[in-house]
Amino acid sequence: MRRLFVLPTSRAGWGLLAAFICLVVAGTWPVIGLLNRAMLVFGIPLMIVWSYAIIFACVGVMLLGNRIVERDDHE
Amino acid sequence: MSSVWPLVITLGYVAITIVIGLKARAGHRMDTLEQWGVAGRSMGPVTLYLLIAAGSVSAYTFMGAPGWAYSKGVAVFYVAIYLAYLALVAWYFGPKVWQFGEQFGHVTQASAIADRYQSPALGALAALVMAVGSIAYAVLQTVGSAYILFVMSGGAIPIWLGVIIVLACIAVYLYISGQRAIGRTNAFQGALMLVVAWAVGLWAVHSATGGLDMGAVFERIQTDHAEFLTLPGARGDMSFSFWTTSIIVSMFSFMPPVWTQWMCASSARTIRRSATWLPTYYIVILPMVVVGFIGIYSLPGLARADTVVLEYAMANLPVVLVGLLGAGTLAASMSSSEPFIHSVALSTTKDVLQPLFKLSDAFTAKLARWLLLPIMALVIAPLAIAEPGSLVMILLVGLGFASQVLPAFIGMFFWPRASKLGVMAGIVAGFLVTVAFTTVWSHPLGIHAGFWGLMLNLPVFVAVSLITPATEASVVERFFRISAPRGLTRLGKGTLK
Repeated sequence: MRRLFVLPTSRAGWGLLAAFICLVVAGTWPVIGLLNRAMLVFGIPLMIVWSYAIIFACVGVMLLGNRIVERDDHE
Repeated sequence: MSSVWPLVITLGYVAITIVIGLKARAGHRMDTLEQWGVAGRSMGPVTLYLLIAAGSVSAYTFMGAPGWAYSKGVAVFYVAIYLAYLALVAWYFGPKVWQFGEQFGHVTQASAIADRYQSPALGALAALVMAVGSIAYAVLQTVGSAYILFVMSGGAIPIWLGVIIVLACIAVYLYISGQRAIGRTNAFQGALMLVVAWAVGLWAVHSATGGLDMGAVFERIQTDHAEFLTLPGARGDMSFSFWTTSIIVSMFSFMPPVWTQWMCASSARTIRRSATWLPTYYIVILPMVVVGFIGIYSLPGLARADTVVLEYAMANLPVVLVGLLGAGTLAASMSSSEPFIHSVALSTTKDVLQPLFKLSDAFTAKLARWLLLPIMALVIAPLAIAEPGSLVMILLVGLGFASQVLPAFIGMFFWPRASKLGVMAGIVAGFLVTVAFTTVWSHPLGIHAGFWGLMLNLPVFVAVSLITPATEASVVERFFRISAPRGLTRLGKGTLK
């Protein structure tokens, strides 16, 4: 039992896990360091635009996840 | 402030909230924890969305976040990012927690821990220490509420009286309608906060720039105060490492009221649907933060940064908007404090007093409701009135502990071999490190104390789990039928059905 672990069991599940990890990486160092500039995008600071891009990307990934979960019927 | 309208509007909000809270009972009997604790697991996706959203958007959004923007700049957006990540956490774990509750009858987080590890002592330990952080959080929100009443009344309602008024209102509808009151009032408060935040934010932008373009505010900041647009912020104290570790620690802090809210859903699918759209609510933060940025050049030298929105509103906005701001800020603090107060009463009764004194389910349900009153009158009210300087420290330690309970959840969702002693050892080791690195040597190397705690906690948890007896196989199987419906993976080999 010591080596048993819960991991994704399908390609879609692994894809979803990768997307979750990418979202977390996007909001933390070192990615956040690359965007740390005092510039404006559409009049809004780049860091704020990036924060909301991550926020809405989270919604997109979860919408995709809902389709996968409901298609595969894993409640 | 000479006009009475801000106070009238703010008190009008309080009156509406009480009516909504009392009506939320809607004829349901509140004599079981299934009803009073988790609203009969009946909440639909919209109510659940607003319940979780309003619960997570505290007075911090209306006072603390603009204050951070005013004093540090864009560093404040770590909060928006971790709140979005909490939605991912709710999306994955929420449906499984709901199934645990529905199939095994859990109404609290600590009950689930006690059941998974077959250890009422571990459940009680989790309930008690989580209560420290929860009470500190509720006290801070209550102080915020009382401060709003003080400002809106022009000083006529002193802090002590404000604390009593706010707690008395919450006590009445929490006692009568329990979790149903939290659901309905949070839905109202959540909608109110969204409207007020944008109304105040856009009006402030208009008064500061003559238009509705936030870009004009940021262009001025970029020209005169560019240090507010990058990390480590204007004060130089939000390093990349503190940003990153604060997000990670906050993401893994499974606070008990959130767990209870997941169990209030009408189905597992409801949680997933609500969590999916939850991040959209956090657009509520943007307009308030913009007011903080306006304050950088229009209100320099404020003694208390977290009063920037109130100060700006009272100087520049019409009294009706000032009143709505008071109502919105009060809504934010009340909607965050009431789930924590409810959760402390629920979990202390269910997970500490019931196993200790072998109480019946019926008496436990009655006791949980009554326990609200001494918790509010003898703990929260005196602490809020005294406003101890160490309160924020208690809160930080409490939240630091919340993340240290992570091993208990790893054993519930990912690793069947996790043992009771492994979890206890990990929690104790992680907690001691977190306390030391919060109080004695604050956040060494710019890394969050809770993260240091986890770095010791997790290896200790794994090592002790491997050398101590696992939980009974039938219990583990019962949990992992939900956590891993498609089977477990043997590391290095295939899937085990």
